[in-house]
Amino acid sequence: MSNVSADLIWEITRSQNAYLVKRKTGGAPQLSRDPLNLTNVHSRKFAGFVNDKALGIVPGEKGGIQVISKKPASANKPAAGLYTVTYGANKSTRKTYKAVANQVAKNSYRPDLRQAAVARASAIRRAQSLRIKPEPERKLRGAAARKAAAAKQ
Amino acid sequence: MVASKKHIPIVKKRTKRFMRHQSDRFKCLDSAWRKPKGIDNRVRRRFKGNLAMPSIGYGSNKKTRHMMPSGHKAFLVSNVKDVELLLMHNKTYAAEIASNVSSRKRVDIIRRAKQLGVKVTNAKAKVTTEV
Repeated sequence: MSNVSADLIWEITRSQNAYLVKRKTGGAPQLSRDPLNLTNVHSRKFAGFVNDKALGIVPGEKGGIQVISKKPASANKPAAGLYTVTYGANKSTRKTYKAVANQVAKNSYRPDLRQAAVARASAIRRAQSLRIKPEPERKLRGAAARKAAAAKQ
Repeated sequence: MVASKKHIPIVKKRTKRFMRHQSDRFKCLDSAWRKPKGIDNRVRRRFKGNLAMPSIGYGSNKKTRHMMPSGHKAFLVSNVKDVELLLMHNKTYAAEIASNVSSRKRVDIIRRAKQLGVKVTNAKAKVTTEV
């Protein structure tokens, strides 16, 4: 445990911090660049730099994912206080999600983040896959469509 | 590119602009809305047949506020790192590349957005070569 409570850190850094991204349009969303934030939403639950126990999922260097978690015991040594597990690209996605879910929730580390962790793992694996659907060809409309139809005949 | 989350139909209660009282009579009077303040003003008193005044009742449903017709909300991005913020929000937000981003960097942003399944509202701006 650190000497400063998580609640105090949150109250201090809530309005402005280095990870926070604010926008003025589109309903003024507040997102977070924190690597220990599973949804990139700026909120107390997901703020990794605040909570004693927090999770982050980032893409691995050689594909696959890396699950980062904070060690509650070393709150005063932030650099040494991270625990990283890599799930490689060759592990099937379903097995990866199962492993992530177990790691997050089974030993009651942060059971409330299980769904978000699996969702993020899934999104990263999908982004890494090469099976990205090509954009469907745009259908011509109006005068251009008539012209194309005339050319066909 | 991912379709937006399912949402209730977007209803715009009014799409016409609110005209300033008597802006149709004087060419120097801009049509930008100003609330009439006069004691006898007929627009202020909401007489029949007069201009409508803006009011909170014209506001959009909170669930569809700021939504584009596609169902996304626009999120301004300037670089690839900003696009990566939207990894978990590609059904809620669409990336909109800021106007001061060069075409070279736009290509990187669009490529990354495609990988992450993020819709880019202005993907064709500044990168289209053929005319």
